[in-house]
Amino acid sequence: MNGGRAFLWQLLALAAAVVLAPLLVGNPYHLNVLNVMALNVLVVTGLNLLIGFAGHISLGHAAFYGLGAYVSGILSSTHGWDPWLSSLAAALVVALVALVIGIPTLRLAGNYLVMATLGFNLIVTILILQLDEFTGGPSGFSGIPPLKVLGRSLASDQQFYWLVWGAALLGLLLARNLADSRVGRGLKALHDSPVAAAAVGVPTAAYKVKVFVLSAVYASLAGSLYAHYFGIVTPKTFDIFFSVELVTMCLVGGMGSLWGGFFGAAFLTPLPQVLHVFDEYKDVFFGGILLVLLIYQPQGLAGLWTRHARARAARSA
Amino acid sequence: MEPLLKVEALDMSFGGVQALSEVSFSALAGRITAVIGPNGAGKTTAINCISGVYRPQGGRVLFGGQAITGLAPHVLARQGLTRTFQNLQVFTNLTVLENVMVGLHGVTGKGFVSAMLRLPGQRAEERRIRARALEALTFLGLAARAGLPAGQLSYGDRKRVELARALVARPKLVLLDEPVAGLNPAETEEMGRVLLEVRRQGVGLLLVEHDMSLVMRVSDQVVVLHFGRQIAQGDPQAIQRHPEVLRTYLGCQDQPPPGVEPAIALEAAHA
Amino acid sequence: MSGWEQLSQYIMSGLTTGSIYALAALGFCLIYNATHIVNFAQGDFISLGGLMMYTLLGAAGLPALLALPLAVAVVAGLGVVLEAAAVGRAKSREITVLIFITVAASVLFRGVFKEVWGKQALAVPPLSPDVPLKLLGATFTPQNLWILGITLAAIAVLIYFFNHTLTGRAVRAVAINPKAAALMGIDTRRMVRLSFALAGALGALAGAIITPITTASYNVGVLMGLKGFAAAVLGGYGNFLGAIVGGLSLGLLESLGAGALSSTYKDVIAFVVLLLVLFVRPRGLLGGGEETRV
Repeated sequence: MNGGRAFLWQLLALAAAVVLAPLLVGNPYHLNVLNVMALNVLVVTGLNLLIGFAGHISLGHAAFYGLGAYVSGILSSTHGWDPWLSSLAAALVVALVALVIGIPTLRLAGNYLVMATLGFNLIVTILILQLDEFTGGPSGFSGIPPLKVLGRSLASDQQFYWLVWGAALLGLLLARNLADSRVGRGLKALHDSPVAAAAVGVPTAAYKVKVFVLSAVYASLAGSLYAHYFGIVTPKTFDIFFSVELVTMCLVGGMGSLWGGFFGAAFLTPLPQVLHVFDEYKDVFFGGILLVLLIYQPQGLAGLWTRHARARAARSA
Repeated sequence: MEPLLKVEALDMSFGGVQALSEVSFSALAGRITAVIGPNGAGKTTAINCISGVYRPQGGRVLFGGQAITGLAPHVLARQGLTRTFQNLQVFTNLTVLENVMVGLHGVTGKGFVSAMLRLPGQRAEERRIRARALEALTFLGLAARAGLPAGQLSYGDRKRVELARALVARPKLVLLDEPVAGLNPAETEEMGRVLLEVRRQGVGLLLVEHDMSLVMRVSDQVVVLHFGRQIAQGDPQAIQRHPEVLRTYLGCQDQPPPGVEPAIALEAAHA
Repeated sequence: MSGWEQLSQYIMSGLTTGSIYALAALGFCLIYNATHIVNFAQGDFISLGGLMMYTLLGAAGLPALLALPLAVAVVAGLGVVLEAAAVGRAKSREITVLIFITVAASVLFRGVFKEVWGKQALAVPPLSPDVPLKLLGATFTPQNLWILGITLAAIAVLIYFFNHTLTGRAVRAVAINPKAAALMGIDTRRMVRLSFALAGALGALAGAIITPITTASYNVGVLMGLKGFAAAVLGGYGNFLGAIVGGLSLGLLESLGAGALSSTYKDVIAFVVLLLVLFVRPRGLLGGGEETRV
């Protein structure tokens, strides 16, 4: 997990790029792709906290994303809640669900979280499909109101762009702050050696659960933003295959590296959207990339970068 | 004086092998207590039972008069009981300084929210943690290596990082599992000095060790385990004359038990 | 239909799908014992088994006696390829990485199947002509009997293999202690590869016998594989007897649950069971507990 001052400069560079990008991207469709990218960055940043800190992988983040979208969507349209309030309520619901899944599974050694979140994602998808009275079933749930800031609806791609990229940058900053703190060191320590971390006072089980809940909340908030941006949510967006895609973004970029996750999301989000022909071969492509990377470069793209940086440092030394 | 740590009739077995049976001993505050015994005597198991890694199947552990049997390790750390490990457990992905900073986890308290938001109190706490960790590194002569990834350190330096990490929070008692195993004579000598200095500062130590000359030099009390039983406790001089200890180590009457290292037996004989 | 007839109907269909879950669960067990990873491509073995039967039996017109072993051999081969080209070749030995290699392989396999066989459902002819049979009030087809019979035969062969052949015992030895097995002169890598082949063969068998009922498609095995995984967890992950018990109980639970409540939530049952087992008794019905030493 990155911390330190360098990260702040890099984040500032990204912020500058975010400000400049709309000048270059006039096409609203491309802006839309950038918006989806920011949403994915947010989810992946949260997921990365879990992978990098606790060393656990979740195959249920699409479901947390989906719950964030559906709960907030339903509360704000069917029940007329303010979208901000409904997003918060959705995050609370998701935090609770993550707590229920995390407490029994994370105290065990082994990969029980993967199994539990996998089962959970499948259940959520089936429930969304079957509870059509509330969720609209397979055709989706529509008529979700947009978010409002100072009385103005954020309905256009342009307006939403500022909101969602602001959220992504903030998400990265908060994650970095956590990494570079007492809690962050405790988490990194427990990833290295759980017994030794516990021996100096790190409550290992509680920390793993907390970081899992935090990472689920990241996904939920992104999901709520998604719902209020598009105004419609469909079950397919949040199925198990999207969970796999999210993990792919983390792993392609580099497990547990915040920038790795960012680049994974930035690289993989636009591909299927920009190349329409590619949509047909999406599975072959995603599976192939992930397979080759995991076999030959398990540290992901971030690993390539650190190796490069180390080699450069060694040459100059 | 009431002992700081009291171990009463601990029982522990692994799949039919009795690792500890009815083991009792005690350790005084601010003193060095050594637990010795041949390989397989149950020394590390005893440490694991005391530090909460294992839950003993019988008996109890008292720390400062309170029963702590079965409490989680991180709770014990907060109460002033920390430890080091026989197979080194340095956090290799953290720097040397960060390793020792983690050692203060149990005595500091800022959580997730204040860390993410960098609240003022959290910043102040971070500064305190850093300063105290540097102090501990200086005490162990590691200040110059503070910024290195701990994974790059030599074996001897890793042992010192572990010790610094266990000491930095100023615990009442530190459990040391073979603090000089694998060190060369000069490093061992240095470690002995460090242990005595720690004792002088009022921290109690309970060490499991094979190096008899170190044990005899630094310990106030020695506990002898053999096949999961406590066979003697006393000061070093008394232990060296204890008939059962001599029998165990030298095998005067019986065959030497399997696993006894001849070097130890010799050392004990010469001491 | 009387209550009894209905009950025996549910039990018949529960045992049929349960057999498939048991075969899938056995596949999960084999690979878990050999490598300690969860092989998420197990479901794709099932898909490929069905697709191969469609091609060999339906399109190429081979007799069943030839098509079935051929399909099993092809998928067993894919299992070996998965080990030789991916899992065994990985630079990292971290379990999470290895598990995600199988996830990636699964996505890739599915993509390839889609290119080769398309997205539509493909009808696979049954192993013998469809004539409705009746037993204790339950109506079923000869295919049901094939499924039960072939599953039983596969289990019998596995039991014989692991208990009475040298190679089978070597596979078990590798599962218990790979280092010691290697020191005894066992080629552990070969045994691991053999486990992948067996897992592929079991998946193929499951796919070949169930697709005449469900039809074959590029992703038909995914859900069955996931339910087989739930069955393996229910039985006690890595436990052979547990896989069989878990598979059959899950099949029965599903069919009785769907009958008693509503078939709408049939697919949820397996995963609710999975979560409940993980929460309440993570070692499963037949798994033993053990203390981990530091």
